[in-house]
Amino acid sequence: MTSEPDAPLFADRPEWEDVVPLPQYENVDPLAPIFYTDEYKDATNYFRGIVKTGEMSPRVLELTENIIRQNPAHYSAWQYRYKTLMALKAPLDVELRLMDELAVRYLKTYQVWHHRRLLVTETREPGPELEFITKSLQEDMKNYHTWSYRQWLLAYFNDDALWSDELNFADQMLESDIRNNSAWHHRFFVVFQSGVRTGDENREEVVRRELAFVKNYISLAPNNASAWNYLRGILDHSATPYSQLLLFVTPYSVPRSPDADLVDVIDLENPPPSMGAQLPCVAAIEFLADIHENEGGDDIMKATELWRSLADEHDTIRKKSREYRIRDALQKVQV
Amino acid sequence: MAESQLLIPLHVSYIKSLGDSKDDLAYHMTAHLRMNAIYWGLTALCTMGHKDALDRVEVIDFVLSCWDDEAGGFGAHPDHDAHIHSTLSAIQILLTHDALDKVDIDRVTRFILSLQKPSGVFAGDEFGETDTRFSYCAISALSLLGRLSDLDVEKTVSYIRQCRNFDGGFGNTIGAESHAAQVFVCVAALAILDRLEEVDQQTLCWWLAERQLPNGGLNGRPEKLEDVCYSFWILSSLSIMRKVPWIDADKLTAFILSCQDPESGGIADRPGDAVDVFHTCFGTAGLSLLGYPGLVDLDPVYCMPASVIEAKGLRKDWQALHRRLS
Repeated sequence: MTSEPDAPLFADRPEWEDVVPLPQYENVDPLAPIFYTDEYKDATNYFRGIVKTGEMSPRVLELTENIIRQNPAHYSAWQYRYKTLMALKAPLDVELRLMDELAVRYLKTYQVWHHRRLLVTETREPGPELEFITKSLQEDMKNYHTWSYRQWLLAYFNDDALWSDELNFADQMLESDIRNNSAWHHRFFVVFQSGVRTGDENREEVVRRELAFVKNYISLAPNNASAWNYLRGILDHSATPYSQLLLFVTPYSVPRSPDADLVDVIDLENPPPSMGAQLPCVAAIEFLADIHENEGGDDIMKATELWRSLADEHDTIRKKSREYRIRDALQKVQV
Repeated sequence: MAESQLLIPLHVSYIKSLGDSKDDLAYHMTAHLRMNAIYWGLTALCTMGHKDALDRVEVIDFVLSCWDDEAGGFGAHPDHDAHIHSTLSAIQILLTHDALDKVDIDRVTRFILSLQKPSGVFAGDEFGETDTRFSYCAISALSLLGRLSDLDVEKTVSYIRQCRNFDGGFGNTIGAESHAAQVFVCVAALAILDRLEEVDQQTLCWWLAERQLPNGGLNGRPEKLEDVCYSFWILSSLSIMRKVPWIDADKLTAFILSCQDPESGGIADRPGDAVDVFHTCFGTAGLSLLGYPGLVDLDPVYCMPASVIEAKGLRKDWQALHRRLS
């Protein structure tokens, strides 16, 4: 294995004898010269050597893997590796299995993901990829590259089988972390942003389903910005007035009433804040203020009172933004 | 211990020393960012009023040594392939040093335009990774070169528009989650193209204000950790939409200052972490936009000294906080 730490330098391997290694500099005295480890210098010297001759052979795969393992951000090595794979018509499933390992090891490197994208564009077998992504998200449930790769995969291949379990997947991710914004975003992407899936043709029904879903999650953990953003997203997308949520939002916007737990008729459409949730909830007050502002007229004053309570008491770090809203709303009233 | 002042002399000597610390393993691995690192260092120095701390001629020579004559752009390092990000950094460095005449503007323009995909997004290099970051690189670079008229603006804007999400933010590709750094690249790109009407400003400004955490720092997405670099991505976006006051400036200033290394200089992502030139650049940039006393004005759209952008006649209608006297 070339990746073994005690692997010999390429300069010491007889099978590389015919390549002329090219050192980094010739007559350049740069501002920021780089002094690499011997292993890295050796491998990249040979890399420049084969790039110069244009060689694309199996040993180039060995060499580029060696460099990538030392420095996964070396984009020229990735690029040349891809070209070589194509030239050799190398088995891409083998490459993808190698990538399974490297992707998890170098989760935050752009190149790892882009290389994968190129490979899958060739193999046109997106199915196993979803499984791989699900596994790799276990390492880092909010990894931007991983999520964005999943969204690309779904949209690019866009076949029904690929989408069929996606809502379940988003559910599972939210179940393991109710505050994972990436999972909330993904749910919106699946439900509203990617065309209409089989079974979802009745859009009003979908909106009802999603409202019930997000209300339930807000009730479990009211101080969850992602869930409130999702709620606003559904309403904006379906042009539903915020005022329709007045009944639901109000109990979240006030301190817990002492007799709250005595209510024995549960309104299933409007689940109450869970026991022990911290109230009032900033996002609920904000939401209520938006409802009042939209109503206009005398309600504007109600909105400004709510913003005032946020500015002075419940969310002081965003005082300036609420004072701006107050001034802005009052100006509109005067006009 | 939290510092209450910006340690300018220490940061200047930290940036000057960067070229010397070649024993550092991390240094070996960052050749692919060397051009960018010099841009970050130079920009931080400009913001702190010490532009000449790095030798002008050496800097210009280094930039020119990264020219990739085959592609017609700049690589991150001599012998590296041209990339749109290092090409933008090279242009920014040369313009800051008033040396843009050393560039073959026709060729660089062709290189940049060659990276645009039919969807309107830009790739970083011929390898083809696409991202709204690269759209910003292209738009900013073309604008600085005076070649924006060569760009298909409608196509370019159309892609960015499709990256807008329900929370008002932008992602790196169509369908991807909103992220504060991607918000900056999209909003600044639209500002350069005079197309800010594509932004749902009310929703977005609120989302950006929500990024401030109780410790004063800003995060890039809900429920993520704060990081100094978001000070710039978020303040610059808010400057463009004239809403910087929505951030609690005292708390954010204190947070950035607490990320300084009081012994060797430099700014880290979070208090106590290792410093780097990237966070030093964006920490000082954030402080400049917050009106920190003694700093030089920074243009949030181009992330370059405001005087340089004004001299080119490229200033947009942004507003940072007034510079405090003390």
